[in-house]
Amino acid sequence: MVEIKYVPTICPYCGTGCGLNLVVKDGKIVGVEPFKRHPVNEGKLCPKGNFGYQFVNREDRLTVPLIKENGEFREASWDEALNLVARKLKEVSDEDPNKIGFYACARSPNENIYITQKLARVACGTQNVDHCARICHGPTVAGLATTFGSGAMTNGFDSIKEADYIFCIGSNCMEAHPLFGRKLIQAKQNGAKLVVLDPRFTPTAKIADEYVQFKTGTDVALMNAMIKVIIDKDLQDDDFIAERTKGFEDMKEAVQKYTLDVSSEITGIKPEVIEHLATEYASAGKAAIVYSLGITEHSHGADNVMSTANLAMLTGNIGKEGTGVNPLRGQNNVQGACDMGALPSDYVGYRKVADPETTAWFNDYYSGEGWEVNLPAKPGLTLVEMMNAAHSGDLKVLYIHGEDPVLSDADVAHTKEAISNLDMLIVQECFLTDTAQCADVVLPAAGWGEQEGTFTSGERRVQCLHKAQEPPEGAWVDWKIMEEIAVRMGVPRALFHYESAEEIFEEIRECAPIMAGMNRERLDTPEALHWPCLSEDDPCQPLMHKDKFAHPDGLGVFQAIEHKGPVEVVDEEYPLLLTTTRVLFHYHAAMTRRCETLSNEVKTGFIEINTKDAEARGILNDEVVRAFSRRGEIAIPARVTEDIRPGIVNIPMHFVECAANVLTNSDSFDPKSKMVELKACAIQVEKFDEKVEIKKELYKDGTDTEVKAEDISTTTVQVDR
Amino acid sequence: MSTKINDMYYAYSAIEDIRKKGEYGGVVTTIMKYLLEEGIVDGIVGVSEGQDIYDAVPILVTDPADVIKTAGSIHCGTLNIAKFVSKYLNGARDMKLAVACKPCDAMTIRELMKKGNIIEDNVVMIGVNCGGTMSPVQTINMIRDVYELDPKDVIKEEISKGKLIIETVDGEKALKIDDLEENGMGRRENCRRCNLKIPMNADLGFGNWGVIGELAGKATFVEVFSDKGAEIWDKVVESGLIEVTDPKEKGIEIRTNINNFMLGQSFAKKESDYAGTTGDIIDVFYHYRDEFSKCMKCYGCREACPLCFCDDCCLETEGPDWVPGGYTPAAPFFHLTRLVHMADSCTNCGQCSEVCPCEIPVAKVWSTVNNKIREIYGYFPGMATTGPIPFTDHVSKVKRL
Repeated sequence: MVEIKYVPTICPYCGTGCGLNLVVKDGKIVGVEPFKRHPVNEGKLCPKGNFGYQFVNREDRLTVPLIKENGEFREASWDEALNLVARKLKEVSDEDPNKIGFYACARSPNENIYITQKLARVACGTQNVDHCARICHGPTVAGLATTFGSGAMTNGFDSIKEADYIFCIGSNCMEAHPLFGRKLIQAKQNGAKLVVLDPRFTPTAKIADEYVQFKTGTDVALMNAMIKVIIDKDLQDDDFIAERTKGFEDMKEAVQKYTLDVSSEITGIKPEVIEHLATEYASAGKAAIVYSLGITEHSHGADNVMSTANLAMLTGNIGKEGTGVNPLRGQNNVQGACDMGALPSDYVGYRKVADPETTAWFNDYYSGEGWEVNLPAKPGLTLVEMMNAAHSGDLKVLYIHGEDPVLSDADVAHTKEAISNLDMLIVQECFLTDTAQCADVVLPAAGWGEQEGTFTSGERRVQCLHKAQEPPEGAWVDWKIMEEIAVRMGVPRALFHYESAEEIFEEIRECAPIMAGMNRERLDTPEALHWPCLSEDDPCQPLMHKDKFAHPDGLGVFQAIEHKGPVEVVDEEYPLLLTTTRVLFHYHAAMTRRCETLSNEVKTGFIEINTKDAEARGILNDEVVRAFSRRGEIAIPARVTEDIRPGIVNIPMHFVECAANVLTNSDSFDPKSKMVELKACAIQVEKFDEKVEIKKELYKDGTDTEVKAEDISTTTVQVDR
Repeated sequence: MSTKINDMYYAYSAIEDIRKKGEYGGVVTTIMKYLLEEGIVDGIVGVSEGQDIYDAVPILVTDPADVIKTAGSIHCGTLNIAKFVSKYLNGARDMKLAVACKPCDAMTIRELMKKGNIIEDNVVMIGVNCGGTMSPVQTINMIRDVYELDPKDVIKEEISKGKLIIETVDGEKALKIDDLEENGMGRRENCRRCNLKIPMNADLGFGNWGVIGELAGKATFVEVFSDKGAEIWDKVVESGLIEVTDPKEKGIEIRTNINNFMLGQSFAKKESDYAGTTGDIIDVFYHYRDEFSKCMKCYGCREACPLCFCDDCCLETEGPDWVPGGYTPAAPFFHLTRLVHMADSCTNCGQCSEVCPCEIPVAKVWSTVNNKIREIYGYFPGMATTGPIPFTDHVSKVKRL
């Protein structure tokens, strides 16, 4: 007899944290149905939510550990693979723990991430653990921590519905965070004015009241000019500045040279428009700033972020509903990955590595049963630094848990060179991703829907997942894989053994005061809990900085910031500025490209190019063109459109056969956050002499990819005649 | 006994635990248990409590001992039962089912039966009166912010005499439903337009309207609507699991009055919703062009629409690109295509609007369109068991000799 049940859980794609019901028929996930009781999305979903489950039971799921020998993978037993990994980690960590690095998985539940950093710190003795927030919202974490004292979104998502004026810059939420996008539509229905600023006329811009197009990477110049206008017109909130902040005078001085004319020249926005924006933002009763990776993914990402914080503090638009600085976190659990201490500078709960007392606390907490933990009170390497260290030969072993840097990090050639320099690359994955293909050992892991745990959304809402089906036979739950490795490295099992994900969460509560109050009874409800949640009777409201900021003195700190602009500027040889984005129907690649409906919708990548730029090059819509930068070249279909500013081109980053990151630049570093400039590099686009086609729908048939990672940027081009 | 169509009864369960847990005497639960125990059906489709009392979840029960899980009511059951049966239970092709349905579920199941997507012979429709349903999150917010009650304390809500009554252990609080609904709270918009409150298109209909006297609150008003329903009713009464009495005349009158009052409200709502769209179907589409221009192409309305059941959807064909892949907002063709495929059968179930992330009033648009189709073709979706569906069935005028 058929058995059918609905299992409520949380969507595994963006940081909005929507609830959905997995429909489980005879033990297998067969569909998604609305979870109307969920407070964030009320049963509404975007295409990824509706169809993003389709990857789960694919034939090409990894179910056997793989070991590479003479360049080819062979199947191995779990015992052999675990022993090999443990032996290598032990050997290198005994020699020098700094030669080992870990990438944690921001798609994975908190419990897995916590165990990843624990494996790094406790078993290997290294602080080299990081994750993709570094090249996503790393600048947010750094920039907002500097200004507000905490690197998280200041308000809950629903708060935006109370705004009178929404300044949305560098965020295409209708595609990247669609169910937050819905809240913008609701805000508009409630009477808010929505203003979108973006080099592209995005789907979000199309639903706005006002749209302002500007040059990529000129955000600081724009916001400094707005600040100057607000001060010149005496529209600032003097009481707020006096009582709640410091550093105002320095900032005021710094913005003086950003006159309307100067900033207009830099940004390409008319002076009167800048003035209009400044006046409206400052005059609104409740004004909210929304931003995303358009602000952060620059070599001056932290500066951009701090500029938004300056604007909010200047006008007192913080600490109240309907206001705030609202960065939309990317991955479903990238907030959680930061919270869990998958950061080289922070332990779980943002407790600082650099603080000797804190490090001593953790050394003591993690030691036991004869195992001594002696972590240095010195931050380890960031994700980008680890890859660079691999490139220079200083890092020997890299353990990547569920990330795909070959596709998602800037400059693919650099990444692959770095990886090939390693003694061992270990990848723990559900699929043979582009990165897994480069690995020496691949460990097959359970995926979404197959394990319990928690995700933390962008509004700091920690939500319980529920297991809907068993993992495919042979794939293991991540924290169990890591327990076995730790034990084989000599760590007493008692230090790494858990009966359930819930037991891991209890340890997290012990280590992280911001989550101490999260007991299961309160947590496992549709509303779940926001951090900070200091005690079991803490109401855990999402609004932060209500009466004071999170700095020890309670004051927000203005920052004096200069416009720098992109490191790589256009020139005659490379006259187009490339920006990279996501599309609504994909989230990176490994999962969504394996979902039939999503793959059907957008089968391959494209380069958006303005009609004028296309015309000048004789390029037609849909024609495969050659795009190249100082790093490499790709063949990619052109999408000729008026929706992008002339001089700027855009490539969605999901598609390995025409990978944007072959072109991007990995040496332009944000000194404040170690972000690389993913959203700006100089390229050229040309017509091919002959007709060219590219492979697409790579994962359609359920077997593994036709394009091998080592071939990216070369064999993707097929000459037709 | 020989029950006939339109016979009416007061009834309550003879099984004590069901009578206690079930609403108004637990008759529905008792019938479900009986049908399953006797092997008349292989499974029952009911509603159970998910994460809390505001979270209604459809459930397939195949073990009679589990039927009790479906007893009692959940506050916000806006479920898509027809889709559950057609999509996940293979349209009752593999098993006989008794399905608890609201009038709109029953209407949609009727349409799907006519389209051959649910097998009529394998389904018993256990209809339940419905004055409208409320979306869970909005309701919780309303109870907290407007009623100023803790949503956790609520044991029951009811619409009576134009008021929405929220009941807790400490008593009840009533507010005028018109006032609430004017401010976007209360029942779902489609429910406020609904023209079927008593499921006369099901096999049996159940509800508390019209139960007066000493049985008020303790018994259910039952009406028989089909031969299949009559046969089942006879058997279950004969089995002794249900106690039956005749309804009071005054009670029948009250039930009719409640029904008429609600239908009147719906009529007024429809008048105002359809206002401004005096032209043809294309005029309606044009009228809502700004709403459709928000569409992010999530396919949510297609997924939720119980009348959309193609395995290969033409919105996803390889080409020609009527609706080009990957472009958002979606081309107007997206919704125009949907219109052609479902507007003739649209039962105003509201599922499409409920899942729309772009706040497009999709159900209202299709209800407006369907109303025009009704006026022209005289076809009322979900009511008749036979007869052609306007855009679906070919009608031949040939003279047969």
